[in-house]
Amino acid sequence: MTRGLLIALWGWLLVWSVLSRRLDLLLRGVFHGLVGVSGVALIVVGIAVITRNIKQREPVPWPWLAGGLMAILVLLVPPNPSFSDLAATRPQGLPEPLELAFVLPPEQRTLTEWVRLLRSQPDPDLVDGNPVNISGFVLKLGESPAQIARLTVRCCLADATPAGLPVAWPKDMEPKVNQWLAIEGRMRVESRDGQRVAVVVPETIEPIERPLRPLEP
Amino acid sequence: MNRLATTWALFQGLLLEALPFLLLGIAIAGLARWLVPQRLWIDRLPRHPILAPIIGAMMGFALPACECGNVPVARRLLANGAPLGTAFGFLFAAPVLNPIVLASTWAAFPNQPWLLICRPLGAFLIAIMLSALLVQLPEAQVLESALLAERRMNQPLSNLSLLKRGTGVIGEPLPETTTAKTERLGFKQVLDQSSREFLDLLALLLLGCLIAALVQTWLPRSWLLQVGNAPTLSILALMLLAIVVSVCSSVDAFLALGFAAQVTPGALLAFLLLGPVVDLKLAGLFTVLFRPKAIAMTAIAASFGVLLIGQWVNLLQL
Repeated sequence: MTRGLLIALWGWLLVWSVLSRRLDLLLRGVFHGLVGVSGVALIVVGIAVITRNIKQREPVPWPWLAGGLMAILVLLVPPNPSFSDLAATRPQGLPEPLELAFVLPPEQRTLTEWVRLLRSQPDPDLVDGNPVNISGFVLKLGESPAQIARLTVRCCLADATPAGLPVAWPKDMEPKVNQWLAIEGRMRVESRDGQRVAVVVPETIEPIERPLRPLEP
Repeated sequence: MNRLATTWALFQGLLLEALPFLLLGIAIAGLARWLVPQRLWIDRLPRHPILAPIIGAMMGFALPACECGNVPVARRLLANGAPLGTAFGFLFAAPVLNPIVLASTWAAFPNQPWLLICRPLGAFLIAIMLSALLVQLPEAQVLESALLAERRMNQPLSNLSLLKRGTGVIGEPLPETTTAKTERLGFKQVLDQSSREFLDLLALLLLGCLIAALVQTWLPRSWLLQVGNAPTLSILALMLLAIVVSVCSSVDAFLALGFAAQVTPGALLAFLLLGPVVDLKLAGLFTVLFRPKAIAMTAIAASFGVLLIGQWVNLLQL
C-alpha cells in the first residue's frame, strides 16, 4: 500500500512539473512530453500496486520514505535559480549555428541568435546600425561591464551555457544583476580593450518579468 | 542564499531529466522478465571472456536509454545469472552504443567523422577492458551482497560450490520462485519486483543528483576549460568535467559542442567516453550493483583507459 502511494506520489510530481510549467525553467522543451508520460505511467503503476496490495502490510525501508519526503519537498519548493550565479560558473561557449541568423530581419533576432551570428561572422561592421529588439537578464562577470544575457540548454539546467551581448548602458542607469530587461535599440561598433565589437545601444529599456520559457535551445 | 536556490533548481533539473530514463530501464527489465522465461535466453548468452562483453555491448542497440536506464537492466541480467562479462559489457558500453546516442553525436558533430568512429569504438574498448578487469575478481568481491544472493539463487547449482550455494544441501531451503525457471513470472510478481527496484534506485539517484548539483554550483566550470590546448591537462580537465556535469549520454554531445573549439580533440573524446561510465549521478546507482572496491576499480580503470585513448587521439590529431 505505502509502496504504491510513494510511486503514485513520484508520478504526480512529474505530471505536476509539466502542468505547473516548472519544467520550462529546468529542461529543454523536447523532454517535457517524456516527463509527462513517465508521470502518468508511474501514477498508473502506483494505483495498480495499491489495488493489488491493499490488505498487505510490508515494511517500508527508510530510503523509500526519505525519497517520498524529498518528493514532497520538491513539490512544495519550486525552483528559483539565479541565472547570474549559474552563468558565472560556466564559460560562454555556444555552438556554431546550424543556420545563420542572417536570413531573419535584424529586429526579429533573439539575443541568442545575435550572439551566434556575431561569433560566426566576426566582422562587426556588417551589423553596424541594425535595429535590435531583445530581452534577457543582466549578467555581470567579475570586473567586466554588465551584459544582457540568456542561458541556452541542450538538456537541462545542468548544462546551461550563457550567451551575452555587450550593452552601452545609459549613464544614469545602474543595471541590477539578474533583472530581466527588454531592450530596443541599434547595434553600434565600438572599440573595447583594443578590439572592435558590436555593442547594443539601447533606445528604450523596460524591466520585464522573467519569461515563462527563459531558457533557449 | 541565491546559490542555494540555484543548487536546488539544478537538483530538480537533473532529477526530472533522469527519472524518465530510470523508469524506461526498469520497464524494459520488467517486460523482459514478464515476457521471456529467464533461463531460455540467459542460458544462450556466451560465457567466453571476450565474446561475452562483446555481445553485452551490442545489446545496447535494444535499449536506447542513457546510463541511468542501463543500471536496472544490468542488475536484472546479473540477478538472473547472466555471465558477468555480458552484463558488464552491456552496462559500460550500451550508454554509448545505442542508436539515440550515436544519432545525437552525429547531429552535434556532422563535420567530425573521426569522432563518430572513435566514440563508439572507444566505448567498446573501455567496456571490454573494464569487463576483463572485473571478471578477474571473485564474484563475492565485485557484486553487492543482495545482488550476489539473488544471482546465486538463479544460477544452476552445478555452477556453484556447496559453500557458495547458501541453499540446498546446506543453508536455507530454496524459495519457490526458483523452482520453475523456464516458466513466465506472473504480472503481479513482476510489478512487485519492478516497483521495489524503482524505489530502491530512485533513492540512490536522488543522492547522486544532490551531489552533482552541489558540486556544479560551487565549482566554477570555467577554470576546467582554461587549460585549453595543453594535451594532457585538457584531457584530465574534461574528464573531471564529465564526472561533475553528469548529463545523460543521449545529450552530452550537444553539451560538448559548446566547448569543442576550446579544447583538444582527445579531451573532447575523453568527455564523451568517460561521462557514460563514471559520473557523480551514477555513483549512487552503482551501489546496487557493485561493492565499493569494485566501484573504485571501475572509476580508476575507466579514467586511466580514457586518458590513454585521449592521449592517443591527440597524438594523431594535433
